[in-house]
Amino acid sequence: MSLVSLQGVGKTYRGRTGAWEAVRDFSLDLDDGEFFCLLGTSGCGKTTVLNMVAGFEQPSAGRILLGGAPVDRPGADRGVVFQGHDSLYEWLTALDNIGFGLRLRGMGRRERRAKAEHYLHMVGLTGQGAKHPSELSGGMKQRIQIARALANDPRILLMDEPFGALDAMTRAVLQGELSRIWAETRKTVLFITHDIEEAVALATRVGVMKRGPGGTLKAVVPVDLPFPRERTSDAFMAAFRSVHALIHDEIHGAH
Amino acid sequence: MTRSTVRTDSRLATVAGYVAGFALLFLIWHLAATLLVKSILFPPPWPVFERAVVLIEDNILQEQIVASMRRILLGFALGSAIGIPVGLAIGSFRVVRWLLEPWTEFFRFIPAVAMITVAVIWFGIGEESKIFLIAYTTVFVVVISTAAGVGAVGRDKIRAAQCLGASRLQVFALVALPATVPYILTGMRLAMANAFVTIVAAELIASNDGLGKLLWDARLFMQIEDIFVALVALGLLGFATDRVFRFLIRIFAGRFNATV
Ligand SMILES: Nc1ncnc2c1ncn2[C@@H]1O[C@H](COP(=O)(O)OP(=O)(O)O)[C@@H](O)[C@H]1O
Ligand SMILES: [Mg+2]
Repeated sequence: MSLVSLQGVGKTYRGRTGAWEAVRDFSLDLDDGEFFCLLGTSGCGKTTVLNMVAGFEQPSAGRILLGGAPVDRPGADRGVVFQGHDSLYEWLTALDNIGFGLRLRGMGRRERRAKAEHYLHMVGLTGQGAKHPSELSGGMKQRIQIARALANDPRILLMDEPFGALDAMTRAVLQGELSRIWAETRKTVLFITHDIEEAVALATRVGVMKRGPGGTLKAVVPVDLPFPRERTSDAFMAAFRSVHALIHDEIHGAH
Repeated sequence: MTRSTVRTDSRLATVAGYVAGFALLFLIWHLAATLLVKSILFPPPWPVFERAVVLIEDNILQEQIVASMRRILLGFALGSAIGIPVGLAIGSFRVVRWLLEPWTEFFRFIPAVAMITVAVIWFGIGEESKIFLIAYTTVFVVVISTAAGVGAVGRDKIRAAQCLGASRLQVFALVALPATVPYILTGMRLAMANAFVTIVAAELIASNDGLGKLLWDARLFMQIEDIFVALVALGLLGFATDRVFRFLIRIFAGRFNATV
């Protein structure tokens, strides 16, 4: 049985400007331990899909199962890394941000601290735990978000363009780190991006979305390259080209 | 340069700026009084200063200051103690907002000064009426900024807590409340300024002591220097109180939000 199952999921927003069908008939099964990248142009409905899996929004059609049980609200079994770093708590130190979920569960101070330190180290910020978010760079804040989600030990990590706001250099570094962390933890990841190279660098499977209205999954491509991935290798280029060919029509607006 | 020397330097610069600013104010006052107005009704700073020394030696000025500040602090504490929980409730629960927003929107347009007569009728000219008025002027400002703060908590902050497993109560206590602290403190700071306005008006009309009473008596007996002593004392007190407040905000909330 797959870990997460989206079955004919649709989402129609109703607002002042009428109804907008953002997602239509979206079906996907995610296996335990895979790194799935959902790739699509801006506005095609990626965030909508992730928000429904997270339980922030309810589908207007179809259903979403997690481990066989329907998803109807946010929960600690799905860790989310947000695109902006607005979700960090400025009044807490980096370490206390990471340990926030553990605190909610009533874990004792000492144990919590040790665990938070472990994840702080995992995301490469050893020794920076006493800083507040206002004292951290954008890349460091995203590392804290990743550590915060992982420390809670969710069944799946949902990431919505987590590196989208970073400069190219920092982004490449963080992609490498995320890949390493995933290899260490084998945590199931649903990762959203509009960057083909990012998808090919990270994913075990890439799902390409069709443009909205009625955004849906157009094709799923496995990426069978070993980690760590060498971006200049021929195999990487070939994978890049095959994904690029799929998304080409979407980028250039042929409908 | 290390971080602490930078900080000390900028603090020195701030203090130097304030000293220069006040010196300039007194200089202009002096020039205006001696060269421009040349009237007994507008004394230059020096006689006012001399009069202040006399009032301090006679322990009169201190007594009025203590009387006024005591009322301000008590009323301010009472108003904040009511305003913060009410503001939190309005910001958190739609039902409470529907019920109480008309109240806040109604009463905030009735200034405390307009309530003086009612306050005196209800509470007499003792301490209660003044404390009531200060609390009244404090409470709506604090309610409105607290409620606005709750409404401004970032959506992702709440969502992040939810998918870390937070209950509704935990979201409130551990996310909404701390995120609102800077708004609460800012509202209290505004309310403190209102309290100074209100206390003078209340003491002018109905009081046996306080800076407002000092102003009133000075007018009755045409002691023009006394009026200016009271005015300068008010300005300095307000200035000092606001500094203390900003200092507290920095201590308690500096790390909450770098921009406070
Ligand atoms: N709350 C909402 N109300 C109305 N329309 C929305 C809402 N959220 C998203 N949309 C619309 O749904 C479409 C998909 O949005 P989104 O999922 O955010 O796209 P993506 O993340 O792929 O950029 C867009 O056309 C967007 O305008
Ligand atoms: Mg998006």
